[in-house]
Amino acid sequence: MELIKDKKDIENSLMNLLEKYSIQVNGSIQLFGRSKPGVLNLQPGYEFLESHEENNPVPLLTWRMRRKFIELEKILANNVVEEPCLFRISCSASIDKWSLSSILYRELDLCEFIGNGKIVSLQATINESEVANLIVKLDNSILCSIEVSTQLPHNSVLQDRHEVIGRRGVASDLVVDTQVGQSSVYTFTEQGEITYTDTDMELFGFDNDQIDHIRAAFQVLKEPGLIDEWQQQHEHLVYLLNAVFESGKKRQRINLKTESTYTHETN
Amino acid sequence: MKPIKIAILSLTHGHSRKYFQTLKENPNLEWVAVSAETEKIKNVFLRGNYGIPCYTNEQEMFDQHPEIEAVVMASANDKHLEQFKACAERKINILCMKVPSFDMEEYKEMMDMVEKSGIVCQIELELHYNPVMARIKQLVSGNELGEISAINATNITLSPVWAFPWQNSPEQSYGKRIQLSSGDNRFRGGSLADHPHVFDMIRSLTNSEFDYIYAEAGQNIRKDIQVEDNLLVSGKMKNGISFLFDPSWSRLEERLEVPGPGWEIYPKRMEVNVSISGEKGVLLADCFGPNVYHNGAPNDRYTVQYTYFDEWIGMMDEFVDCIRNKKIPRINLKWHKQTVEAMNACYESIASGNVVYL
Repeated sequence: MELIKDKKDIENSLMNLLEKYSIQVNGSIQLFGRSKPGVLNLQPGYEFLESHEENNPVPLLTWRMRRKFIELEKILANNVVEEPCLFRISCSASIDKWSLSSILYRELDLCEFIGNGKIVSLQATINESEVANLIVKLDNSILCSIEVSTQLPHNSVLQDRHEVIGRRGVASDLVVDTQVGQSSVYTFTEQGEITYTDTDMELFGFDNDQIDHIRAAFQVLKEPGLIDEWQQQHEHLVYLLNAVFESGKKRQRINLKTESTYTHETN
Repeated sequence: MKPIKIAILSLTHGHSRKYFQTLKENPNLEWVAVSAETEKIKNVFLRGNYGIPCYTNEQEMFDQHPEIEAVVMASANDKHLEQFKACAERKINILCMKVPSFDMEEYKEMMDMVEKSGIVCQIELELHYNPVMARIKQLVSGNELGEISAINATNITLSPVWAFPWQNSPEQSYGKRIQLSSGDNRFRGGSLADHPHVFDMIRSLTNSEFDYIYAEAGQNIRKDIQVEDNLLVSGKMKNGISFLFDPSWSRLEERLEVPGPGWEIYPKRMEVNVSISGEKGVLLADCFGPNVYHNGAPNDRYTVQYTYFDEWIGMMDEFVDCIRNKKIPRINLKWHKQTVEAMNACYESIASGNVVYL
């Protein structure tokens, strides 16, 4: 049996990576908890949605470290799939790990990251804090659907799909003719079916969200220029989230004129 | 730690390009030179703009770069012995491709050279550094499946012979021209010679050695190559665990001279899938999945785009650690000898039609 990796393990692993790759860090960093004065606070961006931090937190777009999203982004950037027209996103999660806002924050960012564009309009239909369906358009004219739900049972593995349809080709993180993600290892024993998906040997034993957190923190410490970029994207995502809930409330499409302001337009 | 000054030899092995990124990014390695077998291979390498000097004369490279401490021996199997001699003379540490030699006398010569010169020699069996394999090892050693009855595995790929023609040359791949079996117009040195991983893996997982092996070659999938591309292997380990392996080149390929996008015809160009049956249950694993998928350029075919290939990071970390800290690699010549003997036993079995005891 394996011990569950905790916060201390995550911090130690980041330190080990920094040492291995000779990355010098000036000052203190933290990966969890409320921001402390003078300490670089490296946490997934959605952790900073509710707080009004005075200490300049560094919102991490951790999912951008996940290799399936990196490859999808490359497939579009390298014109393997040409002239993308439609982007279909779906993500179901459990409320013990995700809120509607946090999951929307993640998927809105992935929409722009993989789609290589900025959202210029959105229309949202929202049921309480459980479900949101969005129709979104990027500034490169890709039309996108984003379906999110927080109604998976507690402790469930997040189920997501990201599929881009172009005039030449389709790219997806789900294999054709399937509805759920594959795992790399399945065991069928008296304990039932247990699955494992291990993708990172340097961080073996951590779950994928922990790996993304460590990798994203490592990346901003390695490339400090990324801090500004991600802080700006965080501000942008906060505006988008506000627009999503406003659209849902008013039952209106919202056109966003720039990255940080938006105007309303009745359907 | 002082970075190890390293070079790549020959550039004729299909794995050569896997090292380029690792050698650039690992701060404990300083990539100083490359030797290429031909001008054509040199030109392909130079197009990558790596900023590393490339020589077509290995001797000249060694003379120009006396600082070289280690090499990745990315060459045809028949080149290994001479390269071992050159490296042992210069006390240069070796990371050797999958099969140092099928000739066990040559193999012994290599072992003696390594021992006498005191260099580190690690064999490139990257599956040991694959995270899925690490999970399988953990589950098996943790007794999650109870006593194991069978370990079956595929190690199937497309055929690399069009890009790396030495793999279609019995002399260059197997070391000599030996007919596969009486009356067969094919020779040893094909897909079996390319796929030692599963033979190595089962020894590592079971802590046991081969008892007997039976192998049978089917008709070739590619009619125009002179080495085997289609075979199955079964047998038992000394501790009673049975196995069935498929080490074929059973995924068709476009006949590219330089590997790249669109090489595969079947969507997934390489697969190592493992199934283990034990008294407590069954394990199924895909060592290179899940991935992402597309049907875009260049051929509009449904294609698996792999999402992880970081085995080379862990492998090079171990190589560095062994050189700097005077350690013996896990996959050394002595350990690997019985894997090569098992592969030779497969060829003997194909020739005789009988089980071969080891």
